[in-house]
Order: sequence, then structure tokens, then C-alpha cells
Amino acid sequence: MNEVLVTATSAATQADLPNAKMGSRFGRMDLLSQLALLSVESLGVNFESMDRTRIAICMAVTAGSLPTDIEYWKGRREPGGPSPTLFAYTLPSSAIGEIAIRYRLTGPNLCFVGSRANLLNEARDLIDREEADACICIECDVVTAAIATITGLPTKAQARAAFLMRGTNGFLLKENHRDIESVCALVSAAEAARNSSR
Amino acid sequence: MHDVNHAADRNARVSAIPEIVIAGCGAITAVGDGVEALRTAMRTGRSGLRKCERYSDTRFQSSIAGVALQNGEYDDPAYELASRALAEACGQAQAVLTSVAPERIGFVLATTKANIEALERISDERKCSEEGRRHLQGDLLAADLAVEYRAKGPKQCVSNACVSGLIAIQQGARLIQRGEADAVLVAGVDHLSAFVMAGFSSLKALDPVGCRPFDRDRAGLSPGEAGAAIVLTKKIFFQSNHPTIQSPIFLQGWGNSNDANHITGPSRDGSGLAAAIRAALTSAKVKLEEIDYINAHGTGTPFNDAMESAALRTVFGDSCPPVSGSKGMLGHTLGAAGVVETILCVLAIRERWLPGTPGLNVPAELAPGSLMRESRPANRINHVLKMNTGFGGVNGALVLGYE
Repeated sequence: MNEVLVTATSAATQADLPNAKMGSRFGRMDLLSQLALLSVESLGVNFESMDRTRIAICMAVTAGSLPTDIEYWKGRREPGGPSPTLFAYTLPSSAIGEIAIRYRLTGPNLCFVGSRANLLNEARDLIDREEADACICIECDVVTAAIATITGLPTKAQARAAFLMRGTNGFLLKENHRDIESVCALVSAAEAARNSSR
Repeated sequence: MHDVNHAADRNARVSAIPEIVIAGCGAITAVGDGVEALRTAMRTGRSGLRKCERYSDTRFQSSIAGVALQNGEYDDPAYELASRALAEACGQAQAVLTSVAPERIGFVLATTKANIEALERISDERKCSEEGRRHLQGDLLAADLAVEYRAKGPKQCVSNACVSGLIAIQQGARLIQRGEADAVLVAGVDHLSAFVMAGFSSLKALDPVGCRPFDRDRAGLSPGEAGAAIVLTKKIFFQSNHPTIQSPIFLQGWGNSNDANHITGPSRDGSGLAAAIRAALTSAKVKLEEIDYINAHGTGTPFNDAMESAALRTVFGDSCPPVSGSKGMLGHTLGAAGVVETILCVLAIRERWLPGTPGLNVPAELAPGSLMRESRPANRINHVLKMNTGFGGVNGALVLGYE
């Protein structure tokens, strides 16, 4: 049986957003959704060539939707109350919804708040159980200065993504590969070693 | 040859997966503290929805809500609700939990807003404890609850909108089936807040007279708060610790999907939910005709209930089993909904009692013909389908069984 492989990885930061060509809807999204979506776009995977009912999306978010929660709640004293558009993004899983809508992906979803340690493990499990044929994994850290003050977390705005599927051409995912950042580092090291041996 | 090996490998793996049973339940809801209050309300059809003074000003479209924390003021209501529910569930499952090492007890929390009360307090420069502030982060809320209930195994905080509860139950089962835990405490919690009331008001999604699931004149949801908890374990552990209970209730299968359609609205045709239901039935190895009762999501919003009706028609055709919805009794408890409504399904199986749909008066034209307004006894409830849907297009379905 083919192993579960990482076939693509990517990263996106806030600095990448101004140059992103993602359509008008993109500008209306919260920062978490923008970063998550851009990281998935940067994977360069042709989802249309696959069975999109069988592609899962798993995401881990450091501080949930707290940055958007704060922005939304600032509107409580406005005459019309807080923004209904922002309310939709006061759920961390809204980013998964945006990814599903853009690429028409109707497979299973999982969204974790906090630890990313189980993300790849859960994604592999979905494939192993044949609940999905492939899985997009995203780690998204959006910690604004306001959130840093409340939570003590360091400020960050970045997303990393990985695409997992069965196959023979990619980076073999092992039990001890728990987060995308470390997998990206290993993929880069493997590519560097391959290039130097040529 | 490859396919044959693949199928054989999968069959071997599936047959080795341990069966998961529900060893204990706890619930703090708008109908009272404890599962017994929920059981009584289920049988009588009593609704816990009422006008809530806290939300009676004109900022909100409606002040009708399901209040679970009746007395006192809490700066950490999420912890309070979840902890009380866990105390009851762990008490019911005491025989199992004392036989499992704490390192083998996992913990999965489902929540959409954790302790959002703290954000309201911080924003208004009102007093907020360190714990209340810490529990703004769902993962830290989960970590502290896990410590209190001696769950030292794997911990997760699931936040998949209003399907969080069902997905948390799935995750609990996965942890056991993968051998990472022998028992898992699954808790679902969300508390009432001006934050959420204002949000649904801004979307014009609240029914001014209280939610009326599947009703012809339904006009929106009623928010609710709840703490709910379920203890999952392997069948073998349950039976060795409860030798007098011959037939536990099994978590038989699940499925989830995304509509890929709209960020706040459900699909019109119900195809996403239909796919989740079919996946759940397939994984449970249960046939359509074996389902004896369906507990719907039933928010009372025009689009949700129409979509669910369409999904049930797609899957069951004209032979839909009895269906009801519970949010006219409890309100929409968001991240807790999947857990507390699954507990209702457990009660329905144990009591052989089909819950009704509080708030329903005249069924909508395209609502399932098997929709139940009143609760009633049943000769047999062996298999139950529970489903939820949420913002972001997510759908979930769960099959419970009794042998």
C-alpha cells in the first residue's frame, strides 16, 4: 500500500498579502482567513484534477479567532452594533470555510485551537481510515499586539500549509513528524542534500 | 492484486478497531442541572427558553434565550458550565475511570467562543480573574479542565462552529481507536454572551418569539448556553466495570463534510449534509431502515431547516424515520450543541422515548412528514442518527446504537 506523503508545503506571512491576487472577496476576509487561504494557494496543488469530495481540510490555530473577536467587539457601541461580516469570522473554522468555497472542497474538516502537535497525525488518520484521499493541513498563527497583551503570546502573523496524500513521490510522513514547520525544514534539508549530490 | 491487498489490509484494520461505548453523561442546560432534568424535559416537552433580562435592551433582536447558569455572576462561566457537566459525567463513569491510569485518559473540548465573557470584561474595563482571562483561549480552558478531572492523556480543543460537539466526540473515539487513550472525557461548552447575542442580532437571525424548529412561521434561532460531557471508553473496559449492564450504548459511526457554498448560509440542496449522513451510516454499517430516530440540528432559521429537510429527503426519500429538534427546549448552545444533543439521543435510546420538538406548531410545507411535535414512547430505538451543521459550511453526523 502506498504511504502517506507530503507532496507540497508552503508558507505565507502578512508581507505577502499586498501582492496576493486572490480576487475581491479576499479583501473582505479577516487576517486569519487571508493567511490560511494564501498558504493553500501557494501549495500550487491542482485540486480540480482530484476528487474534491475526498479532500479534507485540517487546521490548527494558535489563538483561535481572538484577533477578529477584538475587532468585531470594538463595534459594539456603533449605532448599528458590531459588524455582521466580522461576526462570521469570529469562528476560527471560518478560514476552513473560505478554503472549501474557493476550491470547492467538500471533504471532512477539523479545526483545533492551540497545540499543533496533533495536526499531521490527525490528517494521516483521516487518510488511513479512508475518510479522505488527501488532506490540506494548515498551521495559522495570528497574534496581534492586542492579543499578545491579553494572552502573553508573542506577536505573529503567518501560516504554513502542507498537502498530504498517498503516493510514491513526496516526503514520507512518519509518526514523529508532528508539525508542518519541522516537516518543511526536513523537506528543505532533503532537497538541499539532493541538489548538492548532483 | 494491489486492490485486493489493499482491501484485505483495510478489513484487517477495521476489524481490529475497538468498539466505543458511552460510559457516562453530564449536562447543565436551560432545563436544569443534571441529566435527570434533561430526561424529564425530554419526556414532558418542557422548554427552558425564556426572556432574559440581561439582553432585554434594544440592541438585541430578541431577549429570549436558554439560560443555564440561573443564579450569580460569573467571570468564568465557560469553566463553570463545563466543570459541572464533567463532574456529573465522571461520577457516572467512576467505575471505568478509576480503573484507567490518568495517563490513559484523554480530553477533548468542543467550544466556539470559550470564555468570551473575559473579552467583554476586559473591553469594558471590568474586573476579570486571571483564570477567566486565561480561559479566553480554548486550549487553555481544555488544559485546566483536564487537570481538574485527572485526564493526563492527549488533549485537544476542537472549534468547528456548531458542529464542534459532534467532531469532538469523533475525536474522542479516534484517540481510543488509535490506542492513544483507554477513556476520553469529551466536553462541550459555550455560554450566553452579549458578544454572541449582538452577532446573531446583526445577522437578523434571532426569532423574536423564541425558536420554532421546522415550523411554517419560523423566524430564527434562540441562543442558549450549556455545559455537556460524555465519557467514552472501549466496550471491554465498560463491561468489565459494569458487569450488570448488558447492553451499553455504542458510538457506531460518523461522517463530516463541507458545503463549499457560503460562509454563513447552508447550501440550498442539502447535498453536503446528505454526504455526511451517508458517510456516518456507511462507517456505522447501519442501513437506512435501521435508523429509528433522527435528532436534527433544527436551529429554527428558515434556510437551515429547509436545507436539513432537503438532506433528509435526499437520503431517506419518503421513508424518513421519526425526526425532532431540541433547540426549542435548550436554545442553540453552539459548541456544546453536539454533545448535549447526543446525550438526548442516549436518553431516547435508554428510555425508548422519542423526543418532541418544543416550539413547533405547524410544520413547514417541505418538512419531513415524520417530524414529531410531541414526545412519545417507542417500542424500539436501537439506532439513532444525530446531525449538526454550522457556519463555514461544515456538516456532521453521528450514529449511536444499542444492541
